[in-house]
Amino acid sequence: MRVGFIGLGVMGRPMAANLARAGHRMSVYARRSEAARPLVEAGAGLCASPAEVAVAAEVVFTMVTAGADVEEIAFGEHGLVRGARPGMVLVDSSTIAPEDARRIAVRLAGHGVEMLDAPVSGGSRGASDASLAIMVGGRAEVLARVRPLLGSIGRTIVHVGPSGAGQVAKACNQMIMVACIEAVAEAMLLARASGVRCDRVRQALSGGSAASRVLDFFGAKMAERDFLAGVQARLHHKDFGILMREAIGLGVALPVVAEVWQQLNALMAHGWGGEDTSNLLRVLETLRPRTS
Amino acid sequence: MEVGFIGLGLMGRPMALNLGKAGHRLHLWARRPEALDAFAGSGAAICENAAQVAREAEVVIICVADAPDVEEVCLGPGGIAESGRRGLIVSDSSTIAPAAARRIGERLAERGIAFLDAPVSGGEVGATNATLTFMVGGDAAAFETVRPLYERMGKSITHVGASGAGQVAKACNQIVVAITMEAVAEALTFAKKSGVDGARVREALLGGFAYSRILEHHGKKMLERNWKPGFKAWMQQKDLRIVLQSAHELGLALPGAAAVAQMFNAMVGSGLGEEDNMAVVKLVERLAGIGE
Repeated sequence: MRVGFIGLGVMGRPMAANLARAGHRMSVYARRSEAARPLVEAGAGLCASPAEVAVAAEVVFTMVTAGADVEEIAFGEHGLVRGARPGMVLVDSSTIAPEDARRIAVRLAGHGVEMLDAPVSGGSRGASDASLAIMVGGRAEVLARVRPLLGSIGRTIVHVGPSGAGQVAKACNQMIMVACIEAVAEAMLLARASGVRCDRVRQALSGGSAASRVLDFFGAKMAERDFLAGVQARLHHKDFGILMREAIGLGVALPVVAEVWQQLNALMAHGWGGEDTSNLLRVLETLRPRTS
Repeated sequence: MEVGFIGLGLMGRPMALNLGKAGHRLHLWARRPEALDAFAGSGAAICENAAQVAREAEVVIICVADAPDVEEVCLGPGGIAESGRRGLIVSDSSTIAPAAARRIGERLAERGIAFLDAPVSGGEVGATNATLTFMVGGDAAAFETVRPLYERMGKSITHVGASGAGQVAKACNQIVVAITMEAVAEALTFAKKSGVDGARVREALLGGFAYSRILEHHGKKMLERNWKPGFKAWMQQKDLRIVLQSAHELGLALPGAAAVAQMFNAMVGSGLGEEDNMAVVKLVERLAGIGE
């Protein structure tokens, strides 16, 4: 299939590479063209704009930061709709607000372009291993058409519901994951304050009811005090801004998530936004400095 | 003085009436014409749009719901900026984000129009009795020009600092008010669930460190189950949205405000949005299993 990919960052680059490896003809665009170099060297066509990508591809993936970025790619001066043929499919794997996804999908439909919101979970490792969890919102027939493509970047592909539903699922994912990181950080803080080794506690817990992928991965990073980024914490901070705005609009109370959001604010204040979210442990330590 | 007034709702109407009573000539515009009924026969001039208000008046006071409304009145079609009145002073008593106030102030300054952010505290009662607290940000000379008008609508009038500083003070005010409201609701529910007379507890506390105007007035109404709205729950939710959105951008953890904001989300979501914000006690009771 002729596939386009826009947004070749930490997540986008390995996802695009996996699509190329599956034998699809790739056309790519990145704001910083050096981000596209490894893919171009592997045979992908380099486009000068999203419009050019749309001319070259039947299905276009986007993996960018914010709803405004997706909007710009779709409808900007050299946006997708300038080059798209009717029936083109946009698969947006960015994490954006559900209402943004719905609005963009409706506007694209006016140009005959189908859109799926298909945010992912699994981090850069999941992107490299093609083991991402993909949460899809949009029409089932459209998903059926692109499912083989999704199968070459992810392992779990779930059609959650109509347009926007994928982003709702992603918001739920972020709430559980980051709240769990905070819980692990607090457990590590308690262990250390008690004079008990964090790595042993983590090891002991990983066989029991508290076992989780977050405990495995982020717990290990905290125990080793390795705070460098897997996924940058500023992106989780951004996601929490989005989902807490949703909570206001919906009139739902999210007591724990609201507190975790505040911890993320503090993380940003300390300039750790470019590092890993395991820095939530260091935020706690600002209230109770380590003595050892 | 020739005074323009835009936004004649729960707060704006009594504020404008007090200015009229003081002998100022009013120039009014309202989106909903029925809001003008209270001014029939008062000699107030009814304008076609905000631009006309701006052409007739030396000072224009705004009191609307949210930033998009202020933006519309100031910068939208038929708005104040279109009047081209250099030297005009606009004083905005709406509660909006500090960043939004600064942005609108800059845009109006390009047209030679001074903008003061002048949010108020004191509710409908304060507006009616001319006992409001004004927190003002913006140019000091413009503030001095408007001060006599503030004195006709309020009792405590403070020039807090540069543009946006008034809204910062208002956000601080809402943090204290909302958390105190929740604190009083929790304390009275604690008493109730313990089988102790809340009225006696309140009386005992009024003499000590827990004294506050909220314990005195709102505590009394909570005990009387008098939910007649002064400041509605949805307004509190909106103000806390501004607080937490600003905290998100500042990198500032506000654990208390974040927790209380969830209670107001739940109020709006459960259909209590039109009740006074002190009805938050109903949710505290519901959580305690002693709700209505």
